[in-house]
Amino acid sequence: MAGVDVVLQVLIWGLYAGCIYILLATGLNLIFGVMKVVNFAHGELLMLGAYITFTFYALSGWNPYVLLGASVPLLIIVGIIIERLCFRPILGTGKLNEIFISIGLIYIVQNAAAIVWTDEWRIIHSPYERITISVFGVNMPLDYLIIIITTALILIGLHLFLRRTRIGKAMRATSQNRNGAMLMGINVERMDMLSFGIGAGFAGAAGTLWVVSGQVFNPYMGSIPAIKAFAIVILGGLGSIPGAIIGGLVYGIAENFAIFTLGGAWKDAISFIILILVLIVRPTGLFGESAE
Amino acid sequence: MKRELLLLCILCIGFALFAGCTDQKTATDELKIGVVASMTGPASTTGKDIWQSAVLAAEEINADGGVYVADLGKKVPIRLIQGDDESTREGGMKAVSRLITQDNVDLLVGGFSSAVVSAHQSIVAENKVPYIIGGGSSSAVSRRTDIDTSYMFFHRPNTEDSAEIIVLFIDRVMRPDINQKFGFSENRPLRLAVLYQDTSYGTGQRNAVHDYIKKYNLNITVVSEASFNMGESDFRTALTSIKSANPDAVYTVTFLNELIPLVQQGRRDVGMNTIFFAIEPNDDPDFYRGVGTYGEYMMIQSRFSPYAAPKETRDAHTAFVKNFEKRWGGFPGMMGVVTYETVYAGAEAVENAGSIDKAAIRDALDKLEIPEMIEVMKNGKIAFSEEFRESKFELYMAQLIWDQGAGETRPVIVWPDSLKEAGFILPDWYRPGQD
Repeated sequence: MAGVDVVLQVLIWGLYAGCIYILLATGLNLIFGVMKVVNFAHGELLMLGAYITFTFYALSGWNPYVLLGASVPLLIIVGIIIERLCFRPILGTGKLNEIFISIGLIYIVQNAAAIVWTDEWRIIHSPYERITISVFGVNMPLDYLIIIITTALILIGLHLFLRRTRIGKAMRATSQNRNGAMLMGINVERMDMLSFGIGAGFAGAAGTLWVVSGQVFNPYMGSIPAIKAFAIVILGGLGSIPGAIIGGLVYGIAENFAIFTLGGAWKDAISFIILILVLIVRPTGLFGESAE
Repeated sequence: MKRELLLLCILCIGFALFAGCTDQKTATDELKIGVVASMTGPASTTGKDIWQSAVLAAEEINADGGVYVADLGKKVPIRLIQGDDESTREGGMKAVSRLITQDNVDLLVGGFSSAVVSAHQSIVAENKVPYIIGGGSSSAVSRRTDIDTSYMFFHRPNTEDSAEIIVLFIDRVMRPDINQKFGFSENRPLRLAVLYQDTSYGTGQRNAVHDYIKKYNLNITVVSEASFNMGESDFRTALTSIKSANPDAVYTVTFLNELIPLVQQGRRDVGMNTIFFAIEPNDDPDFYRGVGTYGEYMMIQSRFSPYAAPKETRDAHTAFVKNFEKRWGGFPGMMGVVTYETVYAGAEAVENAGSIDKAAIRDALDKLEIPEMIEVMKNGKIAFSEEFRESKFELYMAQLIWDQGAGETRPVIVWPDSLKEAGFILPDWYRPGQD
């Protein structure tokens, strides 16, 4: 394999990794943008998405991509329940309360998942796992192309929802100025509920795509992706959706080139090196606003 | 009324205290064994295996009357006490401290991850409690000199043992087969890539690969090395890098959850038509189920396999698996069987010591020599070496062959000759590396 081919191949692996990060970070950012709440248990929502896909797949044998139709709505409901029961009562009472609620949720969700599904490592096989296509002369599993396209479609859907619909506009207004939105008659608590639900739905989609790409998972798998998602959110700018998308891509590609050039031990380190460098130059993140 | 109430309270407290006193067995009524296992956290599957196997062994021994202690002139039952290390170094330190200082255990067994074991070794050393460790494969754990390890005994192959067997197999069996099949010169060195977990366990294995190639002057060239963080699930870039070095085989140092995606991504995504080698902790039913057809013809090192048993211990293997399934409704893993053996070894040492004095148990473990049980041991005996108190296993190499009936691959022992069931196969799709 020639050098250019290898670099292209690594770029493709980076794009795939970036897709999972983008979905996670976008959901996290949506929640933060509207509610200004930091949900450390976001990785556990990814894990739930993976298990929901696994369960429906085991029961029905359906194409796992179709099961996005199950994991996303179910995670939206889970997100709404979490927002109503856990975050709404403590909203505005201080960041420490939010942090400890979300840390508590990590343990509760992990242990509940371990009881329901056991803590053994699981894996499912995509029906397309044996199909490889050629992209610019480089082999690419069909599953990865589907994952990249699916991620793009989900992001386009979010863009249209936020820009073209009344609820989306209300959500953006709440994100920009909560008090102003309230004065304009927007039910901001409803926006909180919706943003948390959609953010959780994004994590559910990331969970499904994680599973169909052939990754193993167990109830404790959400922690590391969640930490990365937080770093991406800070890198891209708190509350900025474009920032989460660019940040996710930068991380996915940078991590893979770090593995290729410096070794696997640098995979996680490179993310935080980039984060520190960006914050030194631009403390609000790539797309963050100074007011934040 | 007040006086009656006070009297009633005093009576209740008195009864409670009295009941507590009568319920609590005296120290000499039982043999207390602390089981250090990851009952929670990422290694909890293995932890449960350790605990359940220890329970099975203790129940079997207790059903036979218990452990005879000459000093007491009677048999005493084993009581197991669980110490959950939570899959972390801190959790392990907390669990071991509790087992030693609060539960006053006579003996410790268990221990899995090298990192976790190394963290609580100093507590064991300070308190001088005999500890038969079934994990902690890194030699850095068993051969450390900064603490007194004289109370620690290691019933597992170390990283050197593991690496030695694999590189010898590669040089003596695989390399000649490749050279013959593809018309290469007999002297062509085998091009080996090493993909290892970036931990003391992984780097220990990598170093051992180099050391044994040098020690035996093997005709193997390491053409590529790559590491990954523990718990990694995306190996595509590391494998792409390795593929570009054109290896003949890939030696992997992984845990089960890492090996499944590694092999799948290597064969499917990166398109590597090569033979992957896996080290012994991965021989588990979950691996065969997870890896699917991508595992076909890969090599796995083992000492206890769910689907293969050397003829030397086949009956004991079958009985253990059957009893485990009857008791727990599942299949025991490698850490389970080793813990089962360590409970028996501990009981035997106590009987030989004739006492539950910790120093006496330690001395008895030093001199222990019992016939191999389920795993095949060097010279057919479980005994601990003088220098580092490590038992010596007869490791074997198995090749994964597709089983249509099972719908999964199954291991077939191909080396060493003394345990061999069939010959090594280079599949038609295999492509050797290029110089």
